[in-house]
Amino acid sequence: MLKIENLKAGVEGKEILKGLNLQVKPGQVHAIMGPNGSGKSTLAYVLAGRDGYEVSGGSVTFDGHDVTEMSPEERAAAGIFLAMQYPVEIPGVANSYFLRQALNAIKKARGEPEVSAAAFMKLLREKAAVVGVREDLLKRDVNFGFSGGEKKRNEILQLAVLEPKLAILDETDSGLDIDALRTVAEGVNRLRSPERSFIVITHYQRLLDYIVPDVVHIQAHGQIQRSGGKELAGELEEKGYDAMIGAVAA
Amino acid sequence: MSAATLPVSPRPPAARRPQAFVEPISSFAEAFLAQAGRLNGATELGDLRRRRFERFKALGFPNQRAERWHYTNAARFLNRPWHPAAAAELGSAMVTPYLAGGSRARRLIFVNGRPAASLSHVQGLPPGVIFKSIGRVLAEEPAAFKALLDQDREDDGLTALNAAFADNGAWIDIPAGVKLEVPLQLLFLTTVEAGPTPMTHPRVRIKLGAGAELRLIETHVTLGQSKGLTNLVGTVEIGKGASLTHDRLQLLSEGACFVGQLAIDLEAEAKLKQTIATLGGEFVRNEMDARLKGNAIDCLLNGVYMPVGTEHVDTAIRVHHLAPGSHSNQFYKGVINDRSHAVFQGKIFVEKPAQQTNAFQQNNNLLLSDDAEIDTKPELEIYADDVKCSHGATVGDHDPMELFYLRSRGLDRATAESMLTYAFAAEVFERFSDVPLKLLARRMAFERLPGGSALQGML
Amino acid sequence: MATALETVRDYAGGGEYKYGFTTDVGEDRAAVGLDESTVRFISNKKDEPTWLTEWRLDALRRWQGMVEPDWQKPQYPTIDYQAISYFSAPKSPDDRPKSLDEIDPEIRKTYEKLGIPIKEQELLAGIAVDYVFDSVSVATTFKKKLNELGIIFCSVSEAVKDHPDLIKKYLGSVVPQGDNFFAALNAAVFSDGSFVYVPPGVRCPMELSTYFRINAAGTGQFERTLIVADKGAYVSYLEGCTAPMRDENQLHAAVVELIALDDAEIKYSTVQNWYPGDRNGKGGIYNFVTKRGACRGKNSKISWTQVETGSAITWKYPSCILQGDNSQGEFYSVAVTNNHQQADTGTKMVHIGKNTRSRIVAKTISAGRSDSTYRGLVKMLKSAEGARNYTQCDSMLIGDRCGAHTVPYIEVRNRSSQCEHEATTSKISDDQLFYCRSRGVPEEDAVALIVNGFCREVMEELPMEFAVEARKLLGVSLEGSVG
Repeated sequence: MLKIENLKAGVEGKEILKGLNLQVKPGQVHAIMGPNGSGKSTLAYVLAGRDGYEVSGGSVTFDGHDVTEMSPEERAAAGIFLAMQYPVEIPGVANSYFLRQALNAIKKARGEPEVSAAAFMKLLREKAAVVGVREDLLKRDVNFGFSGGEKKRNEILQLAVLEPKLAILDETDSGLDIDALRTVAEGVNRLRSPERSFIVITHYQRLLDYIVPDVVHIQAHGQIQRSGGKELAGELEEKGYDAMIGAVAA
Repeated sequence: MSAATLPVSPRPPAARRPQAFVEPISSFAEAFLAQAGRLNGATELGDLRRRRFERFKALGFPNQRAERWHYTNAARFLNRPWHPAAAAELGSAMVTPYLAGGSRARRLIFVNGRPAASLSHVQGLPPGVIFKSIGRVLAEEPAAFKALLDQDREDDGLTALNAAFADNGAWIDIPAGVKLEVPLQLLFLTTVEAGPTPMTHPRVRIKLGAGAELRLIETHVTLGQSKGLTNLVGTVEIGKGASLTHDRLQLLSEGACFVGQLAIDLEAEAKLKQTIATLGGEFVRNEMDARLKGNAIDCLLNGVYMPVGTEHVDTAIRVHHLAPGSHSNQFYKGVINDRSHAVFQGKIFVEKPAQQTNAFQQNNNLLLSDDAEIDTKPELEIYADDVKCSHGATVGDHDPMELFYLRSRGLDRATAESMLTYAFAAEVFERFSDVPLKLLARRMAFERLPGGSALQGML
Repeated sequence: MATALETVRDYAGGGEYKYGFTTDVGEDRAAVGLDESTVRFISNKKDEPTWLTEWRLDALRRWQGMVEPDWQKPQYPTIDYQAISYFSAPKSPDDRPKSLDEIDPEIRKTYEKLGIPIKEQELLAGIAVDYVFDSVSVATTFKKKLNELGIIFCSVSEAVKDHPDLIKKYLGSVVPQGDNFFAALNAAVFSDGSFVYVPPGVRCPMELSTYFRINAAGTGQFERTLIVADKGAYVSYLEGCTAPMRDENQLHAAVVELIALDDAEIKYSTVQNWYPGDRNGKGGIYNFVTKRGACRGKNSKISWTQVETGSAITWKYPSCILQGDNSQGEFYSVAVTNNHQQADTGTKMVHIGKNTRSRIVAKTISAGRSDSTYRGLVKMLKSAEGARNYTQCDSMLIGDRCGAHTVPYIEVRNRSSQCEHEATTSKISDDQLFYCRSRGVPEEDAVALIVNGFCREVMEELPMEFAVEARKLLGVSLEGSVG
């Protein structure tokens, strides 16, 4: 479904991804782990098409299409979703209204009929129940005044409503206490399906106790250094990044 | 090292810069001559008004050379042939969209500067509460109004001009300990029937006794394409431990000019939460002068301005901390589009006795056009050391990260931009205490946003 | 580096001595007052070409039509400009103090605290001493090096004679004669100052300082400096010094013009410690300075760093006109006022070119009964596509009888430009003071320590040898401000 070949990309002329390769099949959960500065978030932004992140080499194909020239909204319509580390606050815009606008924009781009307000509210309540989001969060303004945990849960709610084919979770665990982490992970697990793939970007192994990955990658210096099963995360936790990456270098 | 002494002489008291003021054109004198005898309280106040008119002629209109008006040539907007507004009647249907405060609210509604008794509703307030027009005050006890004019600042031409013509407005007295549950609304409407260039000079006088509470909604509307000048002067006294919530919404047409000055005195433990939204007007100046005279005062001044076309909006705030241990916060936002011009001048004074002051000020602006202009001057003048004061000002376009967030959820760039612009301003609308007013402000804001009509569904 | 600087200071003294004071004092003083004859007298004394005399006269005529500014915060009595003498040759050795014993003991104490060597103290105090200079060879080497690189570094008077084309082209091109009241006054009667020209592609290998220049002394009152960095050139210039310099004139109105062409960079650092007046606010220098740099070329950069501790009245706004695309302006400032000093200082950043950048970091410290104001303008014109500004102003009050004020003007006319301004005011932290004292640091040293920390961001911009002295200076300037 997603094929990244020899991807080179960076910001302001500084190359951060230096020939990265990754292949994700439908239904798979891939975890990308790596130390600070290894380019994990850069990969997330490059996949979602953030301005200023320039691809200088290699390719990213999603469902057989090259996505590198697509705008963020085109990628959203194609089925790529990025749950952000720091979701943006939008005061004055109700969460439910925002999500309906987003869903209808995506449907419109796909040539599908838009959802009515009433039908959408029904859908939203269902999805909120699935991912464990309280109803009052729906009425409040997008992320405005939300706690860290509420923001992350809201990201998962958006994921549930927009139903992407590929969901990228960028450090979704950062700043969460153990209870919030478990709620978020449970939400994600309920959204797993044979058609939907996940890339879970994280610094710590902790999240992977709850979202069990099919494949674990260790990223450093802008490349995937090692790949393996879920046991790789355990090994990493035990030995630390220095030893693992050092071992690769040696 | 000793140096040769410089030949100096004591500096004479700062003279008013002669080039900073513009002499009024003759139409003002003509209007005063024609009008003076007809004003409410003409007999009792005749002399005082004449003296004030003379003062106005001497002081004139300020231009940018006066520091308080650094970015606005007031004379350009105000020194025009205005004429006293003609009386007019309005049907209730014309007024309904602008009613706020809910069904229980009491209202004074002014049409072209005169109270419209049939539209107003001031009955049934708790004993001791006074809520009436200044026209009535002048009929009942002119000395009280005269005493109010006696307190006017002496260095300002616009105040003098108001004093020369003012014969109406609102008089509000909330006695000590009365916590008024129902909000009061002052609705000022101008219609085309007021004449081609009507001017009104309303006075507003608000007094809250110790521990009193009031929610006040002030709405200024010009109906249709009415032109006109509103020159408002207000005094607000908030007694010890009293609390005033003041929402002001300005919906003015292209040819309308508004200058409003509020002198606000706060006693110890008093609370003020003021929120102003300026949505329209050829020229709007909101000037607030808050004096924090005791400890533990909480003074919040919020505002948003969204000029379009060639509109000019100027906000001038001075917050004086005169006593220890009080808190003030100015929070102003601007969305500036087309060829419009916005000005923010906010100043915090912390006088020597005002130790343990916390004073903050933030002015953030979105500039949406290369032909628009924003000038912001957030100032601190501090003479006490044990204080926490800060200010910030920003001017810029949308945060790219925010834009990316919305687009990554599937919204196209234009929709994402208008949604963010709306959200930027909405942070201030959310501070309106009155819900109907908030909804009205939002609806009117959409009309001022590029692509805003697409957002109407939000309401 | 410090040693080199000292040596060069010695040499400056040597220059002063060498060129002597043999002229008749009576002849070399213009009559009191300022009119056309005064200007002609000065110009004539300096043997200037007609065009420069006319240039001065033009300035005088403009000045005569101007009103002294009154918008600044500092209050001072009205100056009688017609009761001042606008030209006087430096004093002859006979009129000068004979030894350090004749110098105010307070000032000597300051010298000692700053760790200034006796020899240098004598120079600063303007004592007429016969030195045997062993440093001539150092200066010769230094001159030779600059010559080889084609760098011109001389007095403006010399440049008028030797490089008239450059002077004609650049003098007044950044600060025109009629720019403001004090700049016009300076243009009419300027005494002398430094001229620097760095040719294309040349990186000036040493910090240029007023000390290096022969005849530097005696030009303080109406100094005029002009620095031009041609395409791709770089120069760092140091002005002033940490020690309180002796000066005979209470009124100072200097003008500094900087011009950076394509890809050029100028770094201008100032430590200003003129006499601030006594504890009761008596005396002290009135310092009205116009400093402005023009980033004319693309990718050019001008950086101002100033540490202002002296003068009774300070009125200065080192500015950058960011004309070239991608040009950059910087302003780093520390202003310390104590006793009855009044400072009104800041900067102007005018963004004209595309993607121009500016950064302002201003630290204001007020103590005693002093008043200090940051006043700054950030202006982004319609043409300044993608321009950026960041401003940070922090004020610190020491004691409850002083004032600290922040007056930023932000004017934006381009939607793609961004301005960010932040300012804070706070007092010197009791916690920090207590912490230092409980670790055995005496209160005054603790204040100096904390203030230095507060100013670190600016101090780091100073050239190394300046920074060390400037740090000591902060402590000395704040003496008596606590306890």
